[in-house]
Amino acid sequence: MSGTAMIEASLRFRITFGTARSLAYISVLELGTIWERTLRRAHVPVRYSQGFTPRPRMHFAAPLPVGCGTTSDLLDVTLDEPLTERELRDALQGVTPPDLTVVAVTPVEESTPALSEQLIAAAYDVWLRDIDPAALHVAMTRLLDAEQLELPRRGKGDRSYDLRPLILELDLIPDLPSPWTGLRMLLQARTGATGRPDDVLMALGFDTAPRRCTRTRLVLQTSPSEEER
Amino acid sequence: MLTHAAPGPAPATPIPWERIEALLHLVQKPGRYVGGEFNATDTPWDSADVHVCLAFPDLYDVGMSNFALMILYDLLNSHSGVLAHRTYLPAPDMIAQMRQAKLPLYALEDYHPVAGFDLLAVSSAYEQLFANTLILMDLAGIPVRSADRDERYPLVIGGGHGTFNPEPMADFFDVFVIGEAETVLLELVDAMRVTRDLPREAQLEALLDIPGLYVPRFYRPVYAATGDLEAVAPVDDRAPSRVLKRMLPTLPPTPVRQIVPNISTIHSRALVEIMRGCTRGCRFCQAGAITRPVRERPVAEIVDSALQVLDATGFEDLALLSLSSADHTQIGEMVQQLLPLLKDRHATMSLPSLRLDAFSVDLADTLSGGHRSGFTFAPEAGTDALRHRINKDIATEDLFTVAEEVFKRGWRTIKLYFMIGLPGETDEDVLAIADLVRKVRSLGNRIAGPRAEVHVSVGTFIPKPQTPFQWEPFAGRATIERRQELLQKSIRGRGFTLAWNSYGGSQLEALMARGDRRLGAIIERAWQLGAGFDGWDEWQNPGAWAQAIAELPSETLKAHFATPAALLDAVIYRQRDEEEVLPWDHVDSGVAKRFYQHEARRSREAELLPDCRDGCHGCGIQQAYAGLHNEEWQCPVLR
Repeated sequence: MSGTAMIEASLRFRITFGTARSLAYISVLELGTIWERTLRRAHVPVRYSQGFTPRPRMHFAAPLPVGCGTTSDLLDVTLDEPLTERELRDALQGVTPPDLTVVAVTPVEESTPALSEQLIAAAYDVWLRDIDPAALHVAMTRLLDAEQLELPRRGKGDRSYDLRPLILELDLIPDLPSPWTGLRMLLQARTGATGRPDDVLMALGFDTAPRRCTRTRLVLQTSPSEEER
Repeated sequence: MLTHAAPGPAPATPIPWERIEALLHLVQKPGRYVGGEFNATDTPWDSADVHVCLAFPDLYDVGMSNFALMILYDLLNSHSGVLAHRTYLPAPDMIAQMRQAKLPLYALEDYHPVAGFDLLAVSSAYEQLFANTLILMDLAGIPVRSADRDERYPLVIGGGHGTFNPEPMADFFDVFVIGEAETVLLELVDAMRVTRDLPREAQLEALLDIPGLYVPRFYRPVYAATGDLEAVAPVDDRAPSRVLKRMLPTLPPTPVRQIVPNISTIHSRALVEIMRGCTRGCRFCQAGAITRPVRERPVAEIVDSALQVLDATGFEDLALLSLSSADHTQIGEMVQQLLPLLKDRHATMSLPSLRLDAFSVDLADTLSGGHRSGFTFAPEAGTDALRHRINKDIATEDLFTVAEEVFKRGWRTIKLYFMIGLPGETDEDVLAIADLVRKVRSLGNRIAGPRAEVHVSVGTFIPKPQTPFQWEPFAGRATIERRQELLQKSIRGRGFTLAWNSYGGSQLEALMARGDRRLGAIIERAWQLGAGFDGWDEWQNPGAWAQAIAELPSETLKAHFATPAALLDAVIYRQRDEEEVLPWDHVDSGVAKRFYQHEARRSREAELLPDCRDGCHGCGIQQAYAGLHNEEWQCPVLR
């Protein structure tokens, strides 16, 4: 195929982005506003809803917990006028807040299902500061051996839920610089069944330790057959 | 790189991120403490030789909505060799964590300790910030009293409307900027650049040559044996006996690269100031008096600036700021030009501070584009007679006509602001408020149906310095609480909400607003006892204030006042004599005391004074700034 034929404009894009430091401490609503304003500064022709308070057509794969940064979260944006990948990437240059980075920009079919419907799991690296790695290892083994982990639901009174089935993988991260000890988690992230790294720390008894949390990967269900494999 | 004569108490190196990060999982809303906003300056520290920390002594959420700080930030950072960063007061949970971790207060841009700046400019916009200012300095590791700070510490500057009576905070600030800070702050910075290696006393002496600066240590209050204030007298030949406020004849350019917060704040929107000052002359209003003369920004400049700010920030809402938006002579034209441009950008616009008239309803209707939240009016008083006394020229009948129009155009909620405790007010005036709001609700029910709502907010009048009511007493607790109860009994039922202020909070505000330098000891003692966050119901500490007042915590206070009640009587509860020396007499807003005296007399006679655009009433502002009159001024030209 010739080079020029590849340059096609699209009305829907998937933006892979990273956040760190200051932007790890905001809510998902606030992250939405940050992206809306970033796209406005970029003069990207985002499609807005009709009505008295127009909202941009923008969808995240999953809310990022407060206190957590990301290396590769996903945002789908629908446009009013088609842009090429290059045009969108260039427009986003120099208009993002300092702790927001654009990793990749990819056109997607307009008919692609919403990101939130495709998401099945999320991976986190949680670094804990000034803790005893041996104690963490013991707590981890006990947690993985448990059949059930009843934890209180946030803001839902006395109601509790079972965290254990939401933990798909849990490992120590080797060779972190002092004073850090790291945990790598793969947690379920489906509607109504989402594991939270803070709850895993609570189940481990390490919820008061100073930490640095980063979401490192979102696992999407690309097709039904792939999930079965 | 800056070198002080003596080594500073805090090195000019930033706090490592890891030390801040270690606290963030322990506090609510950690996004307040991390900076990282778009349009915050990233100029390297070492590229400037004067470093200014701009502080708003309340939470980030409140301080980020303060436009004055934004203007000064933009201005200082555009000035060669100057770098300005920002800091706000952390919430109590973060303060506790910082103290435990021995982490001093830092600025948000790159986490430099506040104590490492050359200047610390703190907003004194209103009285509830006073105790917070002491918490902020202490958290920064800076002695709270000016006398205890030498040149190793930042020079602490106060500014804002609260400085029109600077005396209660005079022990804590090194210098006050009186009036509009835009030019005078740059002059101050340049002076400090020259005197940086000198002792603090010499640094302050050098500031006496700059008009509009008040350096309290060069003034001494003189009291009679009875405790009456006789003078606030200069003790240095160069200190002016009266400090005339600084005033910019032409409004300075709008800051374009306004900082975009990452977290939700009270207001987060593009701001353009369309006008300064107010010609209405409401007699209770300090802002209207001290910001004279009225200067209007031309429409072309407003439209141009608005678009630039929207482009540079990505904000989805634009607010046009002034004390009375509908009074800008070109407001209709301005809105007509802006609306289509905003629509193209999927942006909205709001006009705070509308008047109570048909024209304002039209304006709001045009702006809302069909979206109807609440419509806000401030009739302030319940009867025509009392409104005449405060010079609020609205007849109750006209108010009903306007309210009817508001409901007819589709609003279902009207918000009404009133004050109680006004000079000359009777219980009948207060009951008239209840009558009025009940009639507004009936109108609403007739036009908009059962879902019509009237939200009533009742503040307590505080006789502010630099107004025609500056000699008036503050109303007693029994009177205010009886009148609040009258309203609570008569404004109830479906479709009403009623909000009021606690008497204690208003009393404290009155004390801070009207006190003299002797109040400093009380503020300091209350702070030591845990006072602060006086604007926050969940954190304020009225007990600390009560104890500080009860202690009469200085020798002077004990000598002058037999009891705490005698102190309260002297400061807030007595009618002051028009001939007596007021604590703020040496601060000159440009409006003549004689004018306030005439206004006080007209108030007693329930006489209205029309808007001064149509004829000068001789408030004195034109004489105070003779020769500066230009086409932006709305003062009639004097012959």
